[in-house]
Amino acid sequence: MKFIRNNFINIVEILWLISFFITLTIFFSSCESFVDVDVPDSQLTGESVFQDKATAEAALVNIYGRFRNNVLVTGDLNGLSILLGSYGDELAYYSNGSLPEEAFFKNNLLPSNTTVTGTWNDSYNLVFAANAVLEGVDRSTGISQNDKNQLKGEALFVRSYIHFYLLNLFGEIPYITSTAYQVNAKAKKWSQEILYPLLITDLKTAETLLPANYIGGERVRPNRTVAEAFLARVQLYASNWEAAETTSNLIINNTATYALEDDLDKVFLKNSASTLWQLKPQGDGQNTLEGQNFIFASGPPPNRALTVDLSNAFETGDQRKNHWIGTVSDGTQNWYYPNKYKQNNNTGSSAEYSILFRLEEVYLIRAEARAQQGNSTGAKEDLNKIRNRAGLANTTANTKQEILEAILQERRVELFTEQGQRWFDLKRSGQSNYVLSAIKPGWNPTDLLWPLPETELLLNSNLLPQNPGY
Amino acid sequence: MKIISLNKGVGALWYTLIFGLYFCCTPALANKVLRQNQSLLQQIQIRGSITDGNNPLPGVTISVKGKLTTAISDYNGQYTIAASPDDTLVFSFMGFKTVLIHIDGQKTINIQLKEDATTLKEVLVNTGYYSVKESERTGSIAKITAAAIEKQPVTNVLAVMQGRMAGVNITQTTGVPGGGFDIQIRGKNSLRTDGNNPLYIIDGMPYASENVGNTLLSSTILSAAGINPLNGINPSDIENIEILKDADATAIYGSRGANGVVLITTKKGKSGKTTFTLNAYSGTGKVTRTLNLMNTPQYLEMRREAFANDGFTQYPDWAYDINGTWDQNRYTNWQKELIGGTALTQNIETAVSGGTSNTQFLIRGTRFKETTVFPGNFAYGKTALHFNINHIADNNKFSISLSGNYVADKNNLLGTDLTREASVLSPNAPELYDPNGNLNWENSTWDNPLRLLEEKYLAKTNNLTASSAIGYKIMPGLEVKTTLGYTDNRLEESKKSPSTVYNPAWGLNSSASYFLLNQAKKQSWSIEPQLTYQQEVGLGTFKILAGATFQEQTREQQALYASGFSSNSLLTNIASAAHIAILNNDNSTYRYNAVFGRVNYNLQQKYILNLTGRRDGSSRFGADKHFANFGAVGAAWLFGKEDFISKAIPCLSFGKLRASYGTTGNDQIGDYQFLNTYSSSGISYQGITGLQPTRLYNPDFSWETNKKLEVALETGFLKDRVLLSTAYYSNCSSNQLVGIPLPSTTGFTSIQANLNATVENTGWELELRTVNFQNRQFKWSTMANATIARNKLIAFPGIAASTYANQYEIGQPLDIRKVYHFTGINPQTGIYQFEDYNHDGAITAPEDRQNIVHTNPNFFGGLQNSLTYKNWQLDFLFQFVTQLGINFNYTGVLPGVGNNQPVAVLDRWQQPGDTSAFQQYTAGFNNDAVNAFYNYSSSDAVFTDASFIRLKNLSISYTLPDSWSKIGRCRLYLQGQNLLTITRFKGPDPENQSQGSLPPLRVLTMGIQLNF
Repeated sequence: MKFIRNNFINIVEILWLISFFITLTIFFSSCESFVDVDVPDSQLTGESVFQDKATAEAALVNIYGRFRNNVLVTGDLNGLSILLGSYGDELAYYSNGSLPEEAFFKNNLLPSNTTVTGTWNDSYNLVFAANAVLEGVDRSTGISQNDKNQLKGEALFVRSYIHFYLLNLFGEIPYITSTAYQVNAKAKKWSQEILYPLLITDLKTAETLLPANYIGGERVRPNRTVAEAFLARVQLYASNWEAAETTSNLIINNTATYALEDDLDKVFLKNSASTLWQLKPQGDGQNTLEGQNFIFASGPPPNRALTVDLSNAFETGDQRKNHWIGTVSDGTQNWYYPNKYKQNNNTGSSAEYSILFRLEEVYLIRAEARAQQGNSTGAKEDLNKIRNRAGLANTTANTKQEILEAILQERRVELFTEQGQRWFDLKRSGQSNYVLSAIKPGWNPTDLLWPLPETELLLNSNLLPQNPGY
Repeated sequence: MKIISLNKGVGALWYTLIFGLYFCCTPALANKVLRQNQSLLQQIQIRGSITDGNNPLPGVTISVKGKLTTAISDYNGQYTIAASPDDTLVFSFMGFKTVLIHIDGQKTINIQLKEDATTLKEVLVNTGYYSVKESERTGSIAKITAAAIEKQPVTNVLAVMQGRMAGVNITQTTGVPGGGFDIQIRGKNSLRTDGNNPLYIIDGMPYASENVGNTLLSSTILSAAGINPLNGINPSDIENIEILKDADATAIYGSRGANGVVLITTKKGKSGKTTFTLNAYSGTGKVTRTLNLMNTPQYLEMRREAFANDGFTQYPDWAYDINGTWDQNRYTNWQKELIGGTALTQNIETAVSGGTSNTQFLIRGTRFKETTVFPGNFAYGKTALHFNINHIADNNKFSISLSGNYVADKNNLLGTDLTREASVLSPNAPELYDPNGNLNWENSTWDNPLRLLEEKYLAKTNNLTASSAIGYKIMPGLEVKTTLGYTDNRLEESKKSPSTVYNPAWGLNSSASYFLLNQAKKQSWSIEPQLTYQQEVGLGTFKILAGATFQEQTREQQALYASGFSSNSLLTNIASAAHIAILNNDNSTYRYNAVFGRVNYNLQQKYILNLTGRRDGSSRFGADKHFANFGAVGAAWLFGKEDFISKAIPCLSFGKLRASYGTTGNDQIGDYQFLNTYSSSGISYQGITGLQPTRLYNPDFSWETNKKLEVALETGFLKDRVLLSTAYYSNCSSNQLVGIPLPSTTGFTSIQANLNATVENTGWELELRTVNFQNRQFKWSTMANATIARNKLIAFPGIAASTYANQYEIGQPLDIRKVYHFTGINPQTGIYQFEDYNHDGAITAPEDRQNIVHTNPNFFGGLQNSLTYKNWQLDFLFQFVTQLGINFNYTGVLPGVGNNQPVAVLDRWQQPGDTSAFQQYTAGFNNDAVNAFYNYSSSDAVFTDASFIRLKNLSISYTLPDSWSKIGRCRLYLQGQNLLTITRFKGPDPENQSQGSLPPLRVLTMGIQLNF
């Protein structure tokens, strides 16, 4: 009896052991598939994004979201409105914390400045995103030709828009047209003479690809007109006066869609008729970062204010000084802030979007292009449009030089604290040194260009040498 | 290979079922076993007490020789055991000589055990999958036990190991509770900064130590590392921590063993009378060191001089500190005001343990609370529950154990560490509060530092680790075992930023307030079936182990940003937010699969050979790179047992020479890195949620491999009263898996790829244990460890053309900085000067950043002394590190701008001819001085000796004599941490070397422990 029981146990144990090994075998045989995991549902493969118009569009509009929130033309602290406003003669720095614009205000940029590096890195990250859209859409079999054109048009526009700012900030830069990192890691930098024609070619292609209407109704994504307005600006910067004028004509003549607002308080509202392109806030009820960052309620200013210089630059009777500039007083002293955007808190539904292109600029582009070609009458006509709207009499300028100076002055008071327009005007008119050395203790003639980021120079020797003065 | 393909998702469940079935039938087997051991002789109860000569000895195992009956002495050293009058009792206890006593009819046996130094080496050391005797181990393993852990009033498991183990370098990065510790076991192997973490195993279950915190919420308060993932471990529940260092010990962990393995074994139940333990302490903490900063007259002198140097005759509007806006006579010691508070620590633990010789249990509960040194009402709390049940069937064949740890952590902090503000605020800055008790903004002339208290950071961690081991002895020498584990780790972090954090002058209302929420969940399971077999072959013993691992870890994470609140009081209620943006919503699955084995041959307990190996598969690599093999060979020769040696060196009581060589790997690169994907950016535009390219992708990267070599000599002298262990190691890491930095023109700053570079870590480790004095009443023992570590980049083909050209140098450690060489101050201009390496007349990067500075600690260790006199016990540990560190000039601000400076900065250049330590002051308008200052911050001038000797731990305890406490035992103690620091470091604390993060705290506590 005992014998049988003992043996029975042994048999059970042996069976146990055998099945253990069988299971182990099953384990190992399924190893290969066990460690294959699916793509997580929070990510999409690059191929699948461009098989569907909706996801391809999500990849594209993310770039506009970045512009609005934190890159280059954003109204936030690291955007050009504040950085270049401080770098030039528009904004005075009041904070005793250390805000990104401090080094800009003191004209003390270093190649290691994190805001300079961030501007460069974020910009090229968006160029990559635009190139990825271009390449993805090209390969796609799931998107219609019409939609392909529109997506590619926007991506090309964005790519040249970013490069335009980079070349004006940094001087010679690489022009990145693909996502191939092996190539882009060794990118060479090019001079303005080479870059502007590249930009213009891209923009002209974008112009043919983009539709005339705005996607989704609101003017929050670039259409053909925006591409044309930007092309006009680029032609102006590249001194192609005739092309700048003819391109401006296309927009100004489109009176059915675009018109100057007579009421200065309506120019920066979201439905303004003079707006060509603006950035829609993330949520309804939100307004602009410009409003949040410029407006303050009591003095002295907590962070920044308009320079006295700028507030004195308005002619007597200029209504823009009353409508677009806010004043704060402590009884003895006044401080001014840009008040184009009037909302610094949320409103029931959004009242203002950040505007990147508006008709006023196009008039001023054409005025300058006409003046440069010797067409004083035409130039003054355009200039007066803007002056009259602000409650000013016609310009008294007569000679070409006088008219050009009047246009520069008009741009200063019309386009102040808008993505660094003033700084770029000073730079391209060759007046930076003259104007800034008088009022900025830290100014150096070599400050015309920002330093190339130190990290970039360390990683890509093709970007050497560093810009002068750094 | 796919013979049978099980559905992936259900597969895991399926395996568990199969195993479940096995073990369902095993209890049935257990019942059928004959009760052969019943003695015919009548059993009697034997009682007695056990002492060490002075004190009762609890926890002594009493067994009946040749039988299964065992008992454990209670806290009064009393025991009871049933045995036959003819039996022999065996009294054994770790650290004491085992005593055999024949019962011979006695009913009471009182006994005194003698301490035995030699038994230290008989202690079993856990290596994860198997245990070896300390004397017979072939690998390199460092160990600390509960005895050392309990002497330290700390909450982080890494903190308890600081200074106690050779080859293990641990640094505390912030003194804020719940914050970071860095660990490096035998140096940096990987070029990736986050690729140097060891593998943590708790009771056999891998602990997912990667951080799921969101630094957007926590970096301002807890430094860059964020919330520490190891907070889910309660140190007082730990019985042992073993650190596996060499190839012999780590190769069985394969791809995860490259940076060493930290094995944590939690406390277990003990049989015997049910015992209750109560342990409570409370104490205070203050920061170790602060900076010696300028007072108001010194500061104002600096400011005036700075503006004068810059050519200002009138102070600008915004220079409120000197233009008369602020009181010129005010002085505030901001360090005292903002980080000079006292943190209160309270801890209470209770435990119940007991059981029979078949079944034992333990239940422990811990409650810990620590406040901060910042103003305001903030605290870190930890509640932990630990339990353990062990059972072995009567037949001694079937065994099962279950352990569980649950830790709930709540860290309630302010949004931003005030350390930086405390060191840079002008000493004449205004009052914190106005007469009405509101925050004083002094007409917008400053940012009141207490605004930061308006922001609240709250982190809640809930961590469950459960593991079970089920074993069955099939026949003598053959055993199957399966360990099953499950972990569930949840983190909820939130940051509340009300509009009141901003200056009211901005006129912002609650629509500018925001609330950030990060919720993360990590769950993992693992199954490890194992088979062990033991067989005598010839004069030796073969031990074989084979096993497999299946592990899955899933992670879900969601971070959101809510804004547009109608009131600041609704800030934590997401439903009240007008806008909610999802910042990220990630989930990932990691699967890991392996087979592993070990073959060990032990000949005459003198010659030992140990072979281990593992084949690993990981989902972190592309389809072609899933699998890799790792293995090691280890050998030991116990030469002390050779007759010719013991005759030649009579004082030698123990001698062992061991060596090991093998490979391990590293797969710490995160999931899905090989895929080309887009992920949601959290940015919405025109109602469309944006997608962004996740990364530049490379589908072909594979495992990083690490070859480890070790040779060690372990010797014991004078009956093992002196034990000395010397080890030399040399580890080589190649096929480096890194995010290779790329210029941003590529769209990203790096790409994941294998880099054909080799990093070598070599070093010497010394461990010395001595019993200096020992008699009945007084015992003094010393433990010392020291490590000399060298780290070197030995190969890097094409480094000059690579993106690492300016970061690394062949033949140099990884922790180097290429900096400018500071040559002094130009006595004429008063500006810093640097060596112009390329003689181009300008100081530029990278050409002139050619001076190499080493920052890694190259010599470190600890010295611990334990003294016992009657009922008193004194333990103290000195930790020492020699290293170069970053002094206050590194993150310091420009001397002359509106921020305070250390007093040392007064030694500045003022006029031509001056020789001084610092250049002329500038308010930021002298471009030459500003540029020189920033170059100075990137020069060798900011590196100074940051070596230190620190009284890391002190513990004094007194056990009340038995006559005072009849029912149980009572121990009173005083414990301290970081009590004293000896250093020449020019900065706040030489350990964390930061001006932005709170220095570690000096903690002193008093406590009481009761056992009954």
